[in-house]
Amino acid sequence: MKEQQLAKAVENKRRRSRLSREIGRHRSIYLLALLPMIYYIIFKYVPIWNAQIAFKDFRAVQGVVGSPWIGFANFKEFFDSFFFWSLIRNTVMYSVGKLLISLPLSIILAIAIYECTRPILRKVVQTLAYLPHFLSWVIMYGILLTLLAPGDGVFNDIVKLFGGTPIDFLSNTKAFPWVVLFSDAWKEMGWSAIIFIAALMGIDVSLFEAAMVEGASSWQRVRYITLPSILPVIVTVLILKLGTILDAGFNQIFMLYSPQVYAVADIIDTWVYRQGLLEFKFGLATAVGLFKGVFGMFLVLFANWISKKATDSALF
Amino acid sequence: MKKSLRFAAVLLLAALIVAPAFAAGGAETSRQAAGTPEDPVTIELWFGAAITEAGMIPDDWVGYDIIRNELGIDLKLTMLPSSESDQDQKIQAAGAGNVLPDIFMVRRPVLVNLVNQGLVAQVDDCFEKMPNRTALIYDADAIGNATIDGHVYGFASPGAIVRNEGLLVRKDWLDNLGLDIPTTTDELMEVLRAFTFNDPDGNGKNDTYGYGAFIETDANLKGYPGSRLWPIMGAFGVEGLWCFDAPNAGLNIYKPEFFDFMVFLKNMCDEGVIDPNWLSYKKDDFRAAWKQGRFGVMYEQNAAYASQANYAPFDSIFPDGEWVIIDAITGPEGHASIGAFDMNYRIYAVSQRAADAGKLDKICELLEWMSSDEGYYLLGWGQEGINYVFDENGVPVAGDLGDAAFTGADGQVYTQLRNMVFYNSDVELSSRYPTYICEVSGKEMSALRALREMQGMKWTNAIGSSTLPTPSADVQRYYDQSLAEFLSGAKALTQENWDAFIEQFNAVGGAAWNEEGVAALEASGLIRE
Amino acid sequence: MNGNKTRHLKPEMQNKKVRLSRADHTFNVVVNVFMVIILIAIVLPLWSTITLSFRPIDFAGSNLDGMFLPPWDWSTAAYESLLGNNGFILAFFNSFKILVGGVFCALFLTIPMAYVLSVQSLPGRKIINMIVIIPYVFNVGMIPAYLLVKDIGLLNHLPAVFLPGAISTYNCIIMRQFFVGIPGELKESARIDGCSEMQVLFRIVLPLSKAIVMTIGLYYGVSFWNDFFNAMLYLNNSYLNPLPILLRNILIGAGVNENLEVSAFANAPINAIKAASVFMSAIPMVIAYPFIQKYFTKGTLLGSVKG
Repeated sequence: MKEQQLAKAVENKRRRSRLSREIGRHRSIYLLALLPMIYYIIFKYVPIWNAQIAFKDFRAVQGVVGSPWIGFANFKEFFDSFFFWSLIRNTVMYSVGKLLISLPLSIILAIAIYECTRPILRKVVQTLAYLPHFLSWVIMYGILLTLLAPGDGVFNDIVKLFGGTPIDFLSNTKAFPWVVLFSDAWKEMGWSAIIFIAALMGIDVSLFEAAMVEGASSWQRVRYITLPSILPVIVTVLILKLGTILDAGFNQIFMLYSPQVYAVADIIDTWVYRQGLLEFKFGLATAVGLFKGVFGMFLVLFANWISKKATDSALF
Repeated sequence: MKKSLRFAAVLLLAALIVAPAFAAGGAETSRQAAGTPEDPVTIELWFGAAITEAGMIPDDWVGYDIIRNELGIDLKLTMLPSSESDQDQKIQAAGAGNVLPDIFMVRRPVLVNLVNQGLVAQVDDCFEKMPNRTALIYDADAIGNATIDGHVYGFASPGAIVRNEGLLVRKDWLDNLGLDIPTTTDELMEVLRAFTFNDPDGNGKNDTYGYGAFIETDANLKGYPGSRLWPIMGAFGVEGLWCFDAPNAGLNIYKPEFFDFMVFLKNMCDEGVIDPNWLSYKKDDFRAAWKQGRFGVMYEQNAAYASQANYAPFDSIFPDGEWVIIDAITGPEGHASIGAFDMNYRIYAVSQRAADAGKLDKICELLEWMSSDEGYYLLGWGQEGINYVFDENGVPVAGDLGDAAFTGADGQVYTQLRNMVFYNSDVELSSRYPTYICEVSGKEMSALRALREMQGMKWTNAIGSSTLPTPSADVQRYYDQSLAEFLSGAKALTQENWDAFIEQFNAVGGAAWNEEGVAALEASGLIRE
Repeated sequence: MNGNKTRHLKPEMQNKKVRLSRADHTFNVVVNVFMVIILIAIVLPLWSTITLSFRPIDFAGSNLDGMFLPPWDWSTAAYESLLGNNGFILAFFNSFKILVGGVFCALFLTIPMAYVLSVQSLPGRKIINMIVIIPYVFNVGMIPAYLLVKDIGLLNHLPAVFLPGAISTYNCIIMRQFFVGIPGELKESARIDGCSEMQVLFRIVLPLSKAIVMTIGLYYGVSFWNDFFNAMLYLNNSYLNPLPILLRNILIGAGVNENLEVSAFANAPINAIKAASVFMSAIPMVIAYPFIQKYFTKGTLLGSVKG
């Protein structure tokens, strides 16, 4: 008995001393972390502490701490919305849709730029691809109207030329989601590709030489070398995007939607904007932020767990 | 040694970042300033700029010195963001932080919330301290607009002049087709069809439409589908969101005529006589479209139609083109109205903090000075001889002052505060809307004349709309979305579906909204017998 | 230049061009066709925006017609009304200060944080990871952040615009992922050689991560340069306003000029002004990106491992 305890104590002590040795070995790293951690506490955690107004009837004069508690009333207002499920469905539809369309497209674009054998084409595309990111949604709306307007849009002119009936893309519930998804891909593809291009630059090119010797085709090279090499970055981006899955792109939707397409266009953020803006309902906006956070946290942890099992690369 | 030095450096940087946290406390002073030029009272003013694109008043503006020397006030100006929703956010955030400025411009719905939070000072007693300004600007309607639960919480001054929009028809198109100005809904429909299908501009292309519009709505006056269709809604007696007439007082949507209007509008859509882009247009697209001659009937604002910069593109493309302002169209049951109007007020509220600091008297002094001759002309037009000169009628004009004139690139910034002193007097209007000669066609145009013409048409009085309750986001969405779906055909526009819509609308919260609105109408005595 | 050496790193392949298999050939065709499609998809909106920004006020046709307007009919009125604005120079410098201060602070904080997260053996790494990820997921919105900025006395100071975003967790974790990708042997051997962690970061990790540090710096730069919301919320002194506020004032002002009868800035169509302002927002990107592309060279890692 005693011996066992003694052994355990020794073991504990050894573990502890190993830990303290490890900590000691890394003390300069902790030092490096000091400043960013202070930053995090002030600029990220104080606002989270302030977010207690989600559970309060926030009174500006009393301040955050002095305002009376009201429990989950703010959350209830959101959950009780007549359109709650429609909001959730639309939000998830757009964010998942963007993951499925924009993300693969930007990866493909990065790989295409990397693999392109025509230097001028490569250079031109690489230099211009990010630019649509800077077109604000106001401008994009003008461009979309030029292309898609039911009266005189380029698309519908072509449709009419072939004797079809014009489609009101921007005010039709069937077409609208596709307009949102593809216009987002169009605008952001090049911008998000930059990160993957940066990742591609890190690939050890001796692997390609080896593949050449083995007689691998270009397809195989992409499949077995290029993609796996940037997989960790892809997974990271994916997990991070899952964390904000309930943000479906407020600016875009807000610019593009109209009452005809509310049924498929209204997302959580646009609802909060309309509901909370004039009403001093900061508790509501904050509560919805927390709700989205819980959802996102769950997804991040889940995706991280899957990724750890499947690809051996994970965030934490 | 090296390591500890490095450690010290890191700590120093950390301290630099945290330092402001400790500095914050000492910033505020509670000492009361004397209010003399040597010891001026600081007054922070957040104003809505008259010409946001011209930029902020330069910091060497002569007005700062005049106000300090004459009133003992150190004026600190902040230009509010240009869009209303940004203004709302900025002011509400400052409210949440209890750091509202001394006096600030605010929209009524936001003001109501700030008042509920106890952040805004009562100013009931202020009006007698500024007799001159009160006589000029603050009449009973204006004071009523800033009154909440029996107390006055701000200074409301008239904003954009009312009934400044009108129904316009392309006269040259009517003449080309040998048509008369429409007066009834049937005639209107004939004109719209002719404009759409009979090539009114004679260019041999099928590229014109009858009616042009876009969706312009708000939460208390312009219900979906919005003010751009008011002349048609007016023909059915359902213009404006609320009906003020007993026994139908309440939301217009409950009237059976609203259904008739929807049928009429749906018919316009189905026949293709309304520009099919109308559901996708934003304001700028709509305005670009009429300048390109896409449609021949529209509802437009006087200056957007007739002021020089706005009319010039149309004039250069269609030198022979001509719009005429016509009176309201009469519907099947004899209703006719161009639209519903409410007074537009800009409210300047005083924060409770400023009142607690004893600044209210100084603020009144400042406002009264603004309405003195000196303040009025300085804020409205700038300095005489530099930014403006008087013409023979006593109207300030640009003369030959060039860029420094109040209309020029450099002089414009000095008139940013003019909305605080203007009260739509004749002098202001003739100065703001000068008569001019069109460059290409040589026509004589005047936005003021257009305004006067528009004001003379049949309008529906809806003064007080802005004080009525606004719906929750759900009710608003249900209202807008359902009407839009009826128009797009997603829902068939039958009496049965309409009744089902009204029923569901009531269940979502529409009935409660209506009751609340009727109660507010009754409480303020707005219901007409 | 390093770039030329490594860019066309497949000399064997070029020598053996004749021996390109059928599959390789299709691959090249697919890649090139895809690139051309993308190019068209990018150039179309850009061209439409460029021509829109030069649209004269009396232009009659539709947007589509406008794309074919010959350059000699273009008007620079939109740019004149932006650049000619009284406050333009001041706003530009305010924006520049925010950009420089912001990117410096952001990299100064993000690089160490990302490096710390990349050290796999660090005890307590999981805790630090959670500390970093939680605020990313819980975006609590405007008011809690406003209250913080107010409480620490940053209200009405330029740093209020960039400090709240000085570490973007997204950027930080992306950077960490790149640091993790640097072969552990390199770091280990440096440590064995007696390098401190600081030295490992500065001598090994950073030189190998130029591309990603530049990219993240660019992401930060663009977001600070274009930040409208923080500036609108936190800056009350109108003389501190940065470019995005000025641009927005011009855009919205020109849009509501229905009440403004005589405006000195009404010589350009509102849509042209909107389009011209797009190019203002892209300024830092257009200037910086070509420099950064120099670091986008294949096999940077390989060279250093061998060297």
